[in-house]
Amino acid sequence: MSFDAAQGSTLHGENSKGTILFDGRGIKKAYDGVQALKGLDFTLRAGEVHGLCGENGSGKSTLLKIISAQILPDEGTLSVGGDIVHMRTPNDSLAVGIGTVTQERTLVPDLTVAENIYLSHRKSRKWWGIDWKQTQSAAQDILNKIGCDVDINAKVADIAPGDAQMVEIARALIGDIRILILDEPTSSLTSHEVTALFVALRNLTAHGVSVVFISHRMEEIFDICDYITVIRDGELISDGRISEYDRHRLVFEMIGRESSEIGLQSDHVQNLDVVLELNELTVANKFSNVSLKLGQGEILGLIGLVGAGHSELLSTLFGSFKESSGDISVHGKNVKIRTPTDAMGHGIAFVPADRKRQGLVLGMTVLENAIMASTSQLSRFTPPSSGNSKAFTEKSMIDFDISAPSLSAPISSLSGGNQQKVLLTKWLGTQPKILLLDEPTRGVDVGAKSEIYKILLEQREKGLSILVSSSEVPELLTLCDRILVMHRGSIVANLPRESADESKILQYAMGEG
Amino acid sequence: MLQKFLHQRFFVVLILLFLMLIFFGITQEQFFTPANLSVILTSSSILWVTAMGLTFVMLAGGFDLSVGSMMALSGIACGWFFNHLHVNIFIAIIMTILFGLIVGGLINGIAIGRFGLSFLVITLGSSTLFTGATQWWSGTKTTLVSAPWLQTLAYGKVWIVPNQVIVMVLVFAILLYVQNYTLFGRDIYAIGGNVEAAKLSGIKTSRVLITVYALAGAFAALAGVLQVSRIAAASPQVGANLIFIATAAVLLGGTSFSGGVGGVFGTVVGTLFLGVLQNGLQVAGVADYWQQIITGAILIGAIALDLIQRKSTNKKGPVTLKIAK
Repeated sequence: MSFDAAQGSTLHGENSKGTILFDGRGIKKAYDGVQALKGLDFTLRAGEVHGLCGENGSGKSTLLKIISAQILPDEGTLSVGGDIVHMRTPNDSLAVGIGTVTQERTLVPDLTVAENIYLSHRKSRKWWGIDWKQTQSAAQDILNKIGCDVDINAKVADIAPGDAQMVEIARALIGDIRILILDEPTSSLTSHEVTALFVALRNLTAHGVSVVFISHRMEEIFDICDYITVIRDGELISDGRISEYDRHRLVFEMIGRESSEIGLQSDHVQNLDVVLELNELTVANKFSNVSLKLGQGEILGLIGLVGAGHSELLSTLFGSFKESSGDISVHGKNVKIRTPTDAMGHGIAFVPADRKRQGLVLGMTVLENAIMASTSQLSRFTPPSSGNSKAFTEKSMIDFDISAPSLSAPISSLSGGNQQKVLLTKWLGTQPKILLLDEPTRGVDVGAKSEIYKILLEQREKGLSILVSSSEVPELLTLCDRILVMHRGSIVANLPRESADESKILQYAMGEG
Repeated sequence: MLQKFLHQRFFVVLILLFLMLIFFGITQEQFFTPANLSVILTSSSILWVTAMGLTFVMLAGGFDLSVGSMMALSGIACGWFFNHLHVNIFIAIIMTILFGLIVGGLINGIAIGRFGLSFLVITLGSSTLFTGATQWWSGTKTTLVSAPWLQTLAYGKVWIVPNQVIVMVLVFAILLYVQNYTLFGRDIYAIGGNVEAAKLSGIKTSRVLITVYALAGAFAALAGVLQVSRIAAASPQVGANLIFIATAAVLLGGTSFSGGVGGVFGTVVGTLFLGVLQNGLQVAGVADYWQQIITGAILIGAIALDLIQRKSTNKKGPVTLKIAK
């Protein structure tokens, strides 16, 4: 979220004249005969934040894994500080001063912040005792260095996600770290926390640490990075100072074609039949007295900070919380929704935010995942993939441009964007009247993102009503007819698209409206 | 197709099974006689049907510790239906299987599937409960069940195929069909793979889980009937080790404790492996306790091997597919 992170990024360009800290030449890597990197060069200078840009599948993650020595390159030389290095295990990369924060959370919830930071480098005393004093003071030093004021004796389970991310970073900084790799550090953070993170990164670069930064959010790249490298299909497309790029050039180079200008045309008829109406809907400790109307063929956006209740509102409409009070009516008829089956009976579909945990069965095939919802109301003795659902899936593969080796390939072999499109197929196959979407493009690359938007806008034209919750303001501004802002469990603003902008939405979301 | 087969988790066990067959075939003259081969199969029948039911439970990410004691309890039930209700033996058998189905579904199924209680705690409890009930119902005595047709079931043949083997093949064929070609079967995989996603897809997870535990009870009851048919009596002293051996058969067959992976075909491989091992060692005159030691060691070894295999495939890096636009 661009505007309020801007204060943290006044250092553009000043440190980028640093000496070369890391240099990779002609890096090649193939998986099972598929060339993921085709002789890539990558240069990192001291004290810079270096953005690595590319779509999913461009070779970005492969490069990161090679730098952090999780995998070995087939060819190419790597040098750190001018010396050629031969790293074989992640420990070797730590030894030359490369720290990595992956996308996976690795903290132990029931241990304290200090203990988590030193989990892999325990401070010990005689007889295998733990030196708590030294652990605490050393942890405090690292947190001070990145300007994080979380209580080192708090349990990780009790701290905010943003602080947890800081703790992950603190942990990666143990030892003499000169290069810090951050793989999508902001994906679960609120804009506040992103700002704090960026300040922390600036503290680090001021100490001469270089940061390799990956994010799918374009604004963040422009806010924090000094330098960027664009890769596509395992090849270097361009690199240079961030000032040489604009949004258009960057997107063009990443996806290799013009991204079609999509977005709502505002001439949509506004006088709509009400499909879904909520009246004073309340779930204790989640949200209270939420009233809203969703019209036919309308896309309604929901936004709020983490814990504002917008996510819970969607899952309540899909039967996750049984103890709700207030009324839900679909097509003017009062309904009770206590299970997903109830919701589906009323023509409601739900694409949850956490694709891997709530959306897909990763061990099953593309087809099995795609038909899971539309067949779930049939008799259990029916053979799977009978009837129309298979045909619908086949059609969607083409319509939605889903790239998969075959319908019987495991869903886990698809990229994030394609998995998300399969999830959309799964729910559109149930022919819903109301589609609930929670973070529809989380962890999805730019190209697939605009394709997903296109699918949703087409469905809207066909009269589908969509309720979408997202933490990305630009996404809602692209998609929605109206945006509802939630703060601490209540709706605090109802903004038509024409009168909504990022700063207004965020003010409301932070309770300053 | 061959490629797919090579990647099956039970592949190593299958190779070991063949090696074992060759080894026993060479070292012992009587091993490859039709009589001995049918002994191998028929002596595995109780294990076979119990392990089949347990496979579904484990595929769904659960476990059922009570199948052994359910087998014993059902045997007693079968004897009681026949001796005290004086029903025809066919009716008694059907009642016994229904008994297993209902008791397994009501106790284990409802507690685990409907109320989400821990399957370890619940089936540990029900296992103890069934064992106690077995002792009480039988008065700790073995009673004769003298129905000639039962003898036919245990020892009769159609041409050279023992009747028990026909039962085994039927059970396997039905479950293989259910597993691969019905929505219920795929539900089991979906629940074992990701219960949250299954629930959010509208799959009635509690109903599926109740059915799965009910089926485990029903197949344990069928095993109880086979047990009764073999000794022509209902005995409370059976089934103590069954759960361990059945678990071993399922695990050797590649179905994982975490659910969503494996299937009944693997369980057949695992069961045959244990059956052949036991028979070969018996024919060779190896003492009972050695059979147990060897079975246990092989189980640990097979699981370790499976882990090593999976680790080495993971090391190659994630399977990233290059997708042509």
